[in-house]
Amino acid sequence: MKHLEKGISLKHAPADFIRDLDVDNVSAGIVAGLFGISASVIHVGAGTAAGLDPQFIMIWVIAYLMINGLFGLIMPAYYRLPLPMANSIPGALLFAAIIPVVGVEAALGASLIAGAISLVAGLAGVMGIVMKLIPMPIVMGMVGGILLKFGLNMVAPLENAMLPAAIMILAFFLSARFLRRVPPLIVAMLAGIAYMAYAGIDFSGVAFSVTFPEFIVPTFTLEAFLAYGLPLALILVGMETPAGVGLVKGMGYKQVPANAITAVGGFATMISSFFNLHSTCIAAPMTGICSSPEAGRPDKRWVAAVIAGAIFVAGAPFYGYVISLIEAMPSYFVAIVAGLALLKVITSAMYMTFAGGKHEMGGLFAFLIAASGLQILGIGASFWALVLGVFISLIFETSDFEFIRRAAHEPGA
Amino acid sequence: MRRFKDWSIPAVTAGFVAVLVSYAGPLAIFFQAAQSADVSPAMMTSWVWAISMGAAVSGIFLSVWLKAPVVTAWSAPGTALLVTLFPELSLNEAVGAYLTAALIIFAIGVTGTFDRLMQAIPRGIAAGMMAGILFQFGLGAFQAIEGTPVLALGMLMAYLVFKRLMPRYCLILLLLTGAGLAIGLEDASLDGVGWQLASPVFIAPEWSWHATLSLAIPLVLVSLTGQFLPGMAIMREAGYAASARSIISVTSLTSLVTALFGGITTVVAAITAAICTGKDAHEDPDKRYVAGIANGLFYLVGSCFAGAIVALFAALPGAFVAVLAGLALIGAISANIMTAIEAEDHREASVITFLVTASGLSLFGLGAAFWGVVIGCVAYALLHRHYRKRRTYCQLPLGK
Repeated sequence: MKHLEKGISLKHAPADFIRDLDVDNVSAGIVAGLFGISASVIHVGAGTAAGLDPQFIMIWVIAYLMINGLFGLIMPAYYRLPLPMANSIPGALLFAAIIPVVGVEAALGASLIAGAISLVAGLAGVMGIVMKLIPMPIVMGMVGGILLKFGLNMVAPLENAMLPAAIMILAFFLSARFLRRVPPLIVAMLAGIAYMAYAGIDFSGVAFSVTFPEFIVPTFTLEAFLAYGLPLALILVGMETPAGVGLVKGMGYKQVPANAITAVGGFATMISSFFNLHSTCIAAPMTGICSSPEAGRPDKRWVAAVIAGAIFVAGAPFYGYVISLIEAMPSYFVAIVAGLALLKVITSAMYMTFAGGKHEMGGLFAFLIAASGLQILGIGASFWALVLGVFISLIFETSDFEFIRRAAHEPGA
Repeated sequence: MRRFKDWSIPAVTAGFVAVLVSYAGPLAIFFQAAQSADVSPAMMTSWVWAISMGAAVSGIFLSVWLKAPVVTAWSAPGTALLVTLFPELSLNEAVGAYLTAALIIFAIGVTGTFDRLMQAIPRGIAAGMMAGILFQFGLGAFQAIEGTPVLALGMLMAYLVFKRLMPRYCLILLLLTGAGLAIGLEDASLDGVGWQLASPVFIAPEWSWHATLSLAIPLVLVSLTGQFLPGMAIMREAGYAASARSIISVTSLTSLVTALFGGITTVVAAITAAICTGKDAHEDPDKRYVAGIANGLFYLVGSCFAGAIVALFAALPGAFVAVLAGLALIGAISANIMTAIEAEDHREASVITFLVTASGLSLFGLGAAFWGVVIGCVAYALLHRHYRKRRTYCQLPLGK
């Protein structure tokens, strides 16, 4: 356990939570929570495309909200850092694709092993080495490429919902400039809600329902492990943690518990596998929202992550209800709010990719590949962005790698 | 020819690739317009003859005169306008509108209005717009991997190998490898390509209010915002201080002549300009003008064999061109993103410009490049401009 970083403590967390609560981190937390719930459309889409039973998709998503949310309460509260927990989106796509091939139990067995690998990696303290192998500009190139989509999605509504989109975006900019007390995000949301109230929304599709996660016993097969478990383990250790840690570090936090994030994510993934859920890990877009300057003072941004976790847990049983509510809202609303919340994060990710003068080419390729949404062998763009980015950087920018440069300078090493 | 020693293979290749990319990409839209106008193959050949000749003459002249890689082409967003207007619009009316548009653009160029406009746009915003346009080509290279994995990955690998071992000849080697792969793997056949000389067909212009309002005015707008604006920004970013006045004057005068043979307005190229103004064309910026001349010469060849060009590009697989264009623009993409992101006092406005342009937004018939600059400038005015007091929002905390 010596590699696990020590946090502050959970004892005073509730009191400190109330002390640190402010408008900025509450609004960022709400946006992150909303964003996390609305990300479930990816699960629903991937599951439906893979021909999974709607009932199964429902308990899958509910497990993700419940379990991710619980760990999302603990991690930020213990470390007092904006570390919201969610699940791996590339992992979700793989999971949905593998179920028809090997069955739910075997897929979850592979998840369990992937979680165990991640737990061991965190406990053994290898994250320092992993992070050195994957240099920051390349990680940030990948993160920037992934997040870029949310920036582009913010612009798209200008075409088909110009008036509300323009109102929300202008409200954001104007309040950023002229209103001192109110977070621009809240102003943008209020402007959007005001417009919707004026234009009227159809709530007839909203239906109330309550569902809970279901217990299941995983089984183990080699096929499921090779096709899904191993890639998932690589994604968790080699991509999700570096992306999350990179983002938080990029926002100016010095000490980020990379090993603990990996270990806790692994442990949580093992638990997840008993409840029809493929993984629990740090989530890049939500981390971006919670750790961004939009979430207020740096030492209080952890509150945003806790709120996002609380929204997950509270929303889980009523997921059916919540999602029908989100579906009733025009799609531009969440798209614009998420895009605005991520604007600074995208900017700083691009800055860290391109302005350092190191790993420029690897970073650029990682950025382009991640943004292209390319999918090879069922694995998503973010993974290939890292692999190819590092590969290209090793070819063209060998001397930018710290450990290679050091090895070259120390002949004895 | 004392200057003959300035000629280099990378510069000539850059010129060639630029021609290849614009024939392969934007020309397709012109074909589409020709189809909607239901013109004969001879007329279509004349159109291709005219636009190529316009690009060739103005490009060579400007590159030699200004000793800078000035790459010209036809107005790509303008051809998109045509698609929707034909067949209601007659060919004669279209030619009349081309002439009107050329005259208006000439007037705007010669008075220096455009130069003043360009100078008013903050540097990061111009770079953000360029990065946004070029970005889509970069994405296209990787998106091609899903549809045609062997060709695209083969070209990508070839690019990496050549770039590492022979960076000077990377582009030409990539071109040859790609063409080989396209013929070997994708069954691209060059059988239908015949090499007869093209002959231009004269079209008598006819002026009408309808054509002026629906074609000439929009053509001026999209050419200035969609071509001259990014094209001049590219030149400026690459460090060439060419004035828009001389370039616009030459291209619009060229347009007056080529219009009579069905050639839509000649303008400064944007995407393909980036291929010729970058480091890949030549290490020494003073010798990149050769790429501009080569580009013109290849257009001249293309113009003479316009019929063959039409057949040739119907034969090449789309993925080949997508990957080639994307990889040829890699350097330009990162250079422009870097300029946009390094604009410290208006970084966010630059990123917003980038996002809007990259999103491909199209409103009221005007393209993403225009809206990128407009929305970027609004963001600049709202977020960054000093009116009195500076708010903390402008400062982005960044880790080291």
